[in-house]
Amino acid sequence: MNDLSTSSQITYRAVLVEPGVVRRIRGLSDKSLAWLFITPTIVLLLAINIFPLVWTIYLSFTNYRANRPNAPTLWLGTDWYQSILTDPDIWAAMQVTAHFVIWTVVIETVLGFGLAFLIDKKFRGHGVWTTIILLPMMLSPAVVGNFWTFLYQPQIGLFNYLVAFVTGRSASSFQMLGDVTLSPWAIVIVDAWMWTPYVMLICLAGLRSIPDYIYEAAEVDRASNWRQFWSITLPMALPFIMLAVLFRGIENFKMFDMVNLLTGGGPGSTTEVASITLKRAAFESWRTGYSSAFAIILFVTVFGLANIYVKALNRVKSR
Amino acid sequence: MTLDGNSSMPRSGFTDRILRRGPLEAIATMIIAAGVVMLMQPFFLMLYSWSFATTLFGTVMFTLVSKVRE
Amino acid sequence: MSLANAAHSVVEPSVGTRRFAGSLVVLYAVITMIPLVWIVLTSFKSPDDAISYPPRILFTPSLEGYCNLFTTRSRQTPEFIKTLGPPQGLCDNIARDRNMVIAGPSNYVPRFVNSLIIAFGSTVLAVALGTLSAYGFSRFRVPLKDDLLFFILSTRMMPPIAVAIPIYLMYRTLGLSDTRLGMILLYTSVNVSLAVWLLKGFIDEIPREYEEAAMIDGYTRFQAFVKVVLPQATTGIAATAIFCLIFAWNEYAFAVLLTSGNAQTAPPFIPIIIGEGGQDWPAVAAGTTFFLVPIVVFTVLLRKHLLRGITFGAVRK
Repeated sequence: MNDLSTSSQITYRAVLVEPGVVRRIRGLSDKSLAWLFITPTIVLLLAINIFPLVWTIYLSFTNYRANRPNAPTLWLGTDWYQSILTDPDIWAAMQVTAHFVIWTVVIETVLGFGLAFLIDKKFRGHGVWTTIILLPMMLSPAVVGNFWTFLYQPQIGLFNYLVAFVTGRSASSFQMLGDVTLSPWAIVIVDAWMWTPYVMLICLAGLRSIPDYIYEAAEVDRASNWRQFWSITLPMALPFIMLAVLFRGIENFKMFDMVNLLTGGGPGSTTEVASITLKRAAFESWRTGYSSAFAIILFVTVFGLANIYVKALNRVKSR
Repeated sequence: MTLDGNSSMPRSGFTDRILRRGPLEAIATMIIAAGVVMLMQPFFLMLYSWSFATTLFGTVMFTLVSKVRE
Repeated sequence: MSLANAAHSVVEPSVGTRRFAGSLVVLYAVITMIPLVWIVLTSFKSPDDAISYPPRILFTPSLEGYCNLFTTRSRQTPEFIKTLGPPQGLCDNIARDRNMVIAGPSNYVPRFVNSLIIAFGSTVLAVALGTLSAYGFSRFRVPLKDDLLFFILSTRMMPPIAVAIPIYLMYRTLGLSDTRLGMILLYTSVNVSLAVWLLKGFIDEIPREYEEAAMIDGYTRFQAFVKVVLPQATTGIAATAIFCLIFAWNEYAFAVLLTSGNAQTAPPFIPIIIGEGGQDWPAVAAGTTFFLVPIVVFTVLLRKHLLRGITFGAVRK
């Protein structure tokens, strides 16, 4: 130890004498240290994410079935892609996904931004209430989603009871999870309940990033509150809103756990979002090649959106 | 989409201005967005069929474009 | 600035506005809490109270849900039960009132233990790997840095089911299916991306001058990292660890597809707790309550860092 520090001491003195040489030596050790630090992570990700991904790409061109590992594997080219991309059933699943994604994102953005706007008024006790509001998004979507099936029970469920109480309809006259028209909304409600706080939190950061002096200048110019909202608050919070919208969009595009437990895709296939279709093909019909192709289609979509997300992230970061 | 402002740059030739990262990235973003919309729209099966190719093209373009000089 | 924030600043909302905003937010908070309160209430109900109509808010509390959660029971004739000795403990008493005999412990505890082992194991690994990488990315010039960082982030964005297909095949070949090790590795790989991004943000905030001063004092780069940077980053590391813990604790998609018994965690287990004639809701609620309490505690501890966590460290408030 002692030796070590003395030698560095010498190095330090040497810096004063001959900076170039020492910087090169130190730079070299830094470089190897950098790789030493980064490599384990990259290796792990290569092994558990990238290798499987490459394998999926390979499987998507074959007729491999996971439940018949010993059957001969045939090369099919892009057959699976063509059949998926012309299949009206898969197209229908994409529209179920679209319904889910669009409505959850719209509801969460409106509610989340509204809440953030109100919390930003800094009323007494806003910290405590904010923490309470944030709770649902931290909980397990599966475990809580499962409990919502209880709240949605036609006769005994609290949700139906409260709706009946407010609207005057009979609590057993509608089934949130069993009805073809209502079940797509049942999953939207649970998702909005869980993830509105997420949008709220990001919007709140956006609102708080607007410096006070801009509002003060607007006051001096006698701009109305309404005008201030539309020309200062909203435009300046917009990058943050975009960030939240993109992230919720990506997450809900691949939503699986909550929907699987609430409806499992049913009734019929009215709530069969893309991930459920994929899970059925991969782990129930064991059409591994086919589902690999579908997985790649979903993955490329998510990857494309992730590119845009990171761009939005960097834009917010520079604020 | 807002593009990166380049007001400080002197005006230069057409190709020079187009082949920069900002506009190209914006185009790639649009293509990806278009692909996603095509994937999930309920109107034309044809658009759905071509959505994957569009998204893939946009994503590859985005990745390549991010290497272009700023 | 200080002038602007003085008592009568033009941008300060009026008392009336504040009260109005406050009451709306409180209203939302109350509505949003109803399902959670209902879970806790249901866990203390008897099965009859749980499925009564209209739903009961006032009821005699019972521990039957918790008893049913932790035990398996078998139905016996009253005559047989009379031949047994006096009931042992509260749960035995409740079971015998329903003509049941406790047959043994349920699977909830092993599943819960699996959740603990897998969550903590993957968190420790992810944070250890993440801290090293974050330091590397934060302090050194790494070629293709932005691409590597994006690559790391994009692995987290992959749809879980798409990843699960090849992982299932890979684990089957390697003999890792339905093992805790397999799940720990999988969750580590998902969490490490979050850990790298979050910790890079935290380490970026520590002035380089600290390490440089230490290195001038004779520390090597590695010593400076261990003795100067790590202590400074403790809060960040703790916050990151809690985020990883929560993710691994809550995860369902991989768990339900890749585990069946041995390594099954609590989230896929809780929904399949069934009693006689359908789901045993008080037991499900009890399992849910048990499962959610640590998260509620962690959320309160973490409230200052939540924003960072959900934006991968980009927004720091």
